Amino acid sequence: MSALRWLGAFAVLAALPFFLGSYYNDVYRKLLLWITLALSYNFLFGICGQVAFSHFAFYGVGAYSIVIFLFQFGLPFPVAIVLGVALCVLLALAVAIPSTRLEGFYLALATLALAQLFVVVLNEGGAVTGGTGGLANYRLPDVFGVRISGPWYTAVIVALLLGTYAVLWRLDRSWFGRACRAVRDNPEAAAAMGVNVARTKVIVFTLTSALAGVAGMVYAFVDNTVNPPIFGLDNAFLILFMVIVGGAGRHAGAVVGATLLFLMPFFLSPLIGHHHVLVFGLLVVAAILVWPRGLIGIYDEASRWIRFSR
Amino acid sequence: MDSILQVRHLTKRFGGLTAVSRLDFDVRPGEILGVIGPNGAGKSTTFNLIAGAYGADEGEIRFAGRDILGLPPHEIAARGVMRTFQHNRPFPGMPVIDNVLVGAHTKFRTGLWGLVTNLGGSEEQQARRKARDLVGFVGLSEARDADVATLSFGQGRLLEIARALAGEPRLILFDEPAAGLTPAELERLAEIIRGIAARGIAVLLIEHDMRFLLPLAQRVVVLNFGAKIAEGPPEAVRANPDVMQAYLGDAAAV
Repeated sequence: MSALRWLGAFAVLAALPFFLGSYYNDVYRKLLLWITLALSYNFLFGICGQVAFSHFAFYGVGAYSIVIFLFQFGLPFPVAIVLGVALCVLLALAVAIPSTRLEGFYLALATLALAQLFVVVLNEGGAVTGGTGGLANYRLPDVFGVRISGPWYTAVIVALLLGTYAVLWRLDRSWFGRACRAVRDNPEAAAAMGVNVARTKVIVFTLTSALAGVAGMVYAFVDNTVNPPIFGLDNAFLILFMVIVGGAGRHAGAVVGATLLFLMPFFLSPLIGHHHVLVFGLLVVAAILVWPRGLIGIYDEASRWIRFSR
Repeated sequence: MDSILQVRHLTKRFGGLTAVSRLDFDVRPGEILGVIGPNGAGKSTTFNLIAGAYGADEGEIRFAGRDILGLPPHEIAARGVMRTFQHNRPFPGMPVIDNVLVGAHTKFRTGLWGLVTNLGGSEEQQARRKARDLVGFVGLSEARDADVATLSFGQGRLLEIARALAGEPRLILFDEPAAGLTPAELERLAEIIRGIAARGIAVLLIEHDMRFLLPLAQRVVVLNFGAKIAEGPPEAVRANPDVMQAYLGDAAAV
């Protein structure tokens, strides 16, 4: 994609919130964040084939670390950002290096343990993490004397989404993306082609976890509060389901899955109340049993069929 | 010409069974060397030792003057030893051309940062051109952008070869390439293998099918119970009484 297209996409997505009320602006921001997370998780799970449950925990590490570094430790803004990313990278390496040397199942277990441990640390963190109540009553520091808020902050989230997408898109279309897919499809054949399987897995896990951490840093100034229940395990599973329902391994699938599963309750709860969870469950089961390629797979089939019947 | 692969005193034991016993042979650039033997002779074990899947108990495998025994498979590939699999192992999530490009993995020089900042474009274009040429060389041009799931078994074997060639090997290892192919496909395969050797690439063929191998190989090593029982040009090997004994004994047992 050319620079002009990226700029055009940014202009359209960033202009939209100026026409939305504050409620819909909030929904829009959260939607953008979910899509960002689904895109990076899709690279880890859909493209590189690693089943991990720590993605949302890294989102939490990013959110908490920026708030703690800024307001508990009083560090300057750029330093807090760099330290937050560094923390995510170190934590990701610490999990990935031992677990990718074992079979894939152990990565799932190790990351599940990490996600649980993270919530425990938040609850038991005392004054540093704010315990069960978390941290609140802070606001985004001024950048070059300018206070970014309202739809302007939404533009920051749009930049985050497009930046994440650009990084993943370029990697995916290169030798690196092919190596990731090869590792997912057949690790032994990938190794015979010269792909260092363990190293590829560690790089992808660390990179996507760091991207989730950066998204978390941006999220910290959306609600201006971080607390343990937000970063519980249910959201870790929700990202997995978004990618599966949309179509694992496809960027468009991640976007479709995140949009559908995030917006569904807003449309369904006025109609059927809490039963919307049932619809969610049916969608997930159907995606796993009936459409293993997800909604984007159905779209591919349909467009192939239309082309064929012409 | 000097040999590119030297195998010396290679020995591999599985518990009490000696699968490969003090094996010696060489392969020279541009040469087609066949390794044959009845079932259980140690052909596959030898193959896996060279490709890095197993470690050996004794001996040495030198490639281009350096010891490669015990290196992990991806490092052996990076040094210029590429292989095909007996049971085709394509990457099913990718079209044919991308499968071939995975074979060129070790040839890319742009780092991750370069990819993110969009510096890898010309390298990618060049690799794609080479991959298209290789797809043409094995005769899969019409299926270039097809899903690998739509390929026939024989086409899958050709894809294995194109993928291995994409790594610009100096030695290519074929693991029973004739298995499961039709007579017409075998003829095409023999032609491709001769074409590879003609490029100066050393070819090591592990093969069960003598009728396929003998007209193709310049030299043949015969294994039985893990040890070398004969070595030489195909005609001489065919007439060797030990070889006849090994094969007829095998046939008689069946």
